[in-house]
Amino acid sequence: MAKRRLSDLRKAQMRAGYLFVVPSFVLYALFVLVPVAITIVLSFTYYDISFGADWVWFENYQRFFGESRSITIFWNTLRFAFFAVTGNVLVGLLLALALNRAMPGWLLYFFRLAFFLPVIISAAFVAVVWSYFYAVDFGVINYYLNVLGLPAVPWLTSSKVAMTSIVIMDVWKNTGFFMIILVAALQGVPQPIMDAASMDGASPWRRFSRITLPYISPVLFFCIVFATIGALQVFESITILTGGGPGDSTRSLSIYLVDEAFGSFELGYAAAVSVVMMLLVLIVTIIQLVGSRRLVEA
Amino acid sequence: MQTRSMQTKRAARNVDIAIIAVLTVMGVLMLMPFLWLFSMSFRPAAEAYKMPPSFLPPTLDLSNYQTVLNSAVPFLKIYWNSLYVAVLVTIGQLVTCTLAAFAYARLRFPGRDSLFFVMLIGLMFPAQVTILPIYLGYAKVGLLNNPLGLVLMGLTSSFGVFMLRQFLRSQPKELEEAALMDGAGYFKIFWRISLPQLRPALAALAIITFTGAWNSYFQPRALIESQQAMTLPIAMDLLRGYMSQGNLSVVMAAMSMSILPVVLLFLVAQKMVIQGVTFSGIRN
Repeated sequence: MAKRRLSDLRKAQMRAGYLFVVPSFVLYALFVLVPVAITIVLSFTYYDISFGADWVWFENYQRFFGESRSITIFWNTLRFAFFAVTGNVLVGLLLALALNRAMPGWLLYFFRLAFFLPVIISAAFVAVVWSYFYAVDFGVINYYLNVLGLPAVPWLTSSKVAMTSIVIMDVWKNTGFFMIILVAALQGVPQPIMDAASMDGASPWRRFSRITLPYISPVLFFCIVFATIGALQVFESITILTGGGPGDSTRSLSIYLVDEAFGSFELGYAAAVSVVMMLLVLIVTIIQLVGSRRLVEA
Repeated sequence: MQTRSMQTKRAARNVDIAIIAVLTVMGVLMLMPFLWLFSMSFRPAAEAYKMPPSFLPPTLDLSNYQTVLNSAVPFLKIYWNSLYVAVLVTIGQLVTCTLAAFAYARLRFPGRDSLFFVMLIGLMFPAQVTILPIYLGYAKVGLLNNPLGLVLMGLTSSFGVFMLRQFLRSQPKELEEAALMDGAGYFKIFWRISLPQLRPALAALAIITFTGAWNSYFQPRALIESQQAMTLPIAMDLLRGYMSQGNLSVVMAAMSMSILPVVLLFLVAQKMVIQGVTFSGIRN
């Protein structure tokens, strides 16, 4: 009797398990797994919407790594990622160090509001505002430069400056995220050790580099990885600020992919571009897995 | 000795004050784009480009807002689309992710761990790798230029399942086991015990999902061209195009309305929003 009841229970549990998992798994398969598989297949073909697919092996990848235009765009993306990640994490860390002290609650509310609000508003919205800030003749920033007696800067219209302008906006938008995460990490640094160190006369820099930094390094590492994965996919801020120009000077892989897919209808080639992006993200993720294991062991 | 320690204390206090002063200046600078856009939305359109720029509303004249609503761009329809997509996606994820999280965290069935692992892999794929097949598929079934397409593809997420499962596993199991002994079914246990336990995590997931869907740009941009089907982020270009002929103020009125729900959410539930969004980062 007891035995039968147990097996009934197991059966009921199994039924419930599959039933509960099915909705999310079917949707996930339909909108993630199958599309990823199709994208990979597509990347080995020349695909025409009306005539179907021709298998071309690695031709799309050869084209991507053989054309100077796509190589420029590839490096643009890495360059953007490098500067945006450095800026975001460094500024975030400085802000976190500044914020990590006793202050009245309303002040803390204000700081969280000011630094975190850009994080949760879409770049699609705020980039429009920034495009007016960056305008050459009627722009807000150039107006103040003029007031200070400085020359106007062609923020978005010069291929030398445009990438910097986009990085500046990106740091403005995202650094608050890293600030919040790093503040939490800083609060985990044991206060007694810090007090003992300052009692022994350790300078603030020494305390930071010898105690704080080792303590928060896993979190810092996570921030760098997370920022990199985001930066590699940069799309809306560039689309709205420069559209990838002037020339190709700010074009990123995401923008290139959309151009090729929905502008030129080179779907096979666009698929190859997206697979390259996926591999970049994968490499960063693997570095993270290996690195965080090593940091934890250390 | 006593005076020296008091001196260092005073010095430390001065440093604190200086740092807080610098932070305050930076904080105000951070808010400038928002102050500017809000104040601009009240500036008479004719004075839009007049310098110096204003960061506080000069009047409280709503005519720019009326212009947006009466313009050739179907702004209200677009706003409705955004709400429709964000609300349905949020509800959908709460339902599908909670059910799956309960099964993965609490039930035993063959293949459970492999299914969960496959679901986890989804965290790695950027939206760019799935968009082309979705575009081709939607073209076949008539879901291009349809907000419903955006809803369907957002109804579940690996992240949501993962986050809720982790949360549920950190909760005590005893109540469920007791209920099971009393002969309660799994659905009853899910509904009566696990769901209430999950409440804080569900609030966080709802906030992340809603703001994510509200802000989403890449996918709508790839899948939607017609004005009637647009969501707000991709409509911004359109508005800019139609109104940029000297009418910056009107664009900013549209912008103020577009960011309003997220700003309000943030002002009211600051702590919860920050917790939710940063949790979405700390997923490992």
